Amino acid sequence: MTKNQRLVYIALLASQAVIIGLIERSIPSPFAIAPGAKLGFANIITVMAIYTLSTADAGKVVGTRLVLTALLGGTISTFMYSASGAILSFIGMSIVHKLGPSRVSIIGVSITGAFLHNVGQLLIASWIAQTWSILLYLPVLTFVAILSGIAVGVAANYLLTYVEKLHYYKYLRESS
Amino acid sequence: MKVFHMFKFWDWIIIPLIILLSFLPSVVFTYQQGSVSADSNLEAVVSVDNEEIERIPLTGHEGNEILDIPEVPCDTNTVQLQDEQIRIQSSDCPDQVCVLTGFISTPGETIVCLHHRVVIEIEAEDGHVENEILSY
Repeated sequence: MTKNQRLVYIALLASQAVIIGLIERSIPSPFAIAPGAKLGFANIITVMAIYTLSTADAGKVVGTRLVLTALLGGTISTFMYSASGAILSFIGMSIVHKLGPSRVSIIGVSITGAFLHNVGQLLIASWIAQTWSILLYLPVLTFVAILSGIAVGVAANYLLTYVEKLHYYKYLRESS
Repeated sequence: MKVFHMFKFWDWIIIPLIILLSFLPSVVFTYQQGSVSADSNLEAVVSVDNEEIERIPLTGHEGNEILDIPEVPCDTNTVQLQDEQIRIQSSDCPDQVCVLTGFISTPGETIVCLHHRVVIEIEAEDGHVENEILSY
């Protein structure tokens, strides 16, 4: 991958993540038992970035996505929620990905990401409300996170297998 | 390509690990509540913006009562006290988490409205005093 190709690829991934996030925000939550739980489809992009780019470049995708989503109709508090969730889940996913493709699949990586995203958001929520009992909400959210993590993992797996360019980038990443 | 075949060995370690971790806060909270004695007086502490507004004694309360606390911005006349339970019965916030929480009555339980930054928490008034007496 040349430097320009990589730059364009990072920008493409970031913009796709922003669009997916914005569309998802306008869909009402399908989980009546867990208000605030989202499907987290923007995670597809983060997972693909981790599998096709170096950790530093994948971090750039996540950072760009965070700032752009905040600028496009977010507030400081939604930025704090999404930032803590996204940063925590990115760190977790990078670590799990380091286990190697023979040990852990994309599904494992995306489930970790979805779970840590919830942990980060609940930590910020309990910090804002000054009570730790918000964390009692975690089991319900984890159930949703495992389901959506599997969905995101399967989707990302199909994309990385059948989209030729992504498959090639993944091959480059694994061989380097 | 079957979905089931996508899973690898470590996935089956990660999923139970995550489920166990998600119950960690519940375990810690139950453990903490074990130290509160059963006959202590319970109070509902209403706070807005991290500032304590009102303490409502719950133990021994009987009947249905609607409290008028103007500092709670969720709705007018929204805090309902029924016997030894308390709840927020209506709110104009978008997620309605506080209303869906329903009645709370045991120490450590909370009603949280992030939108209006309202927290109602049940506290045991003299739960820790008893432990000290025991240690003399």
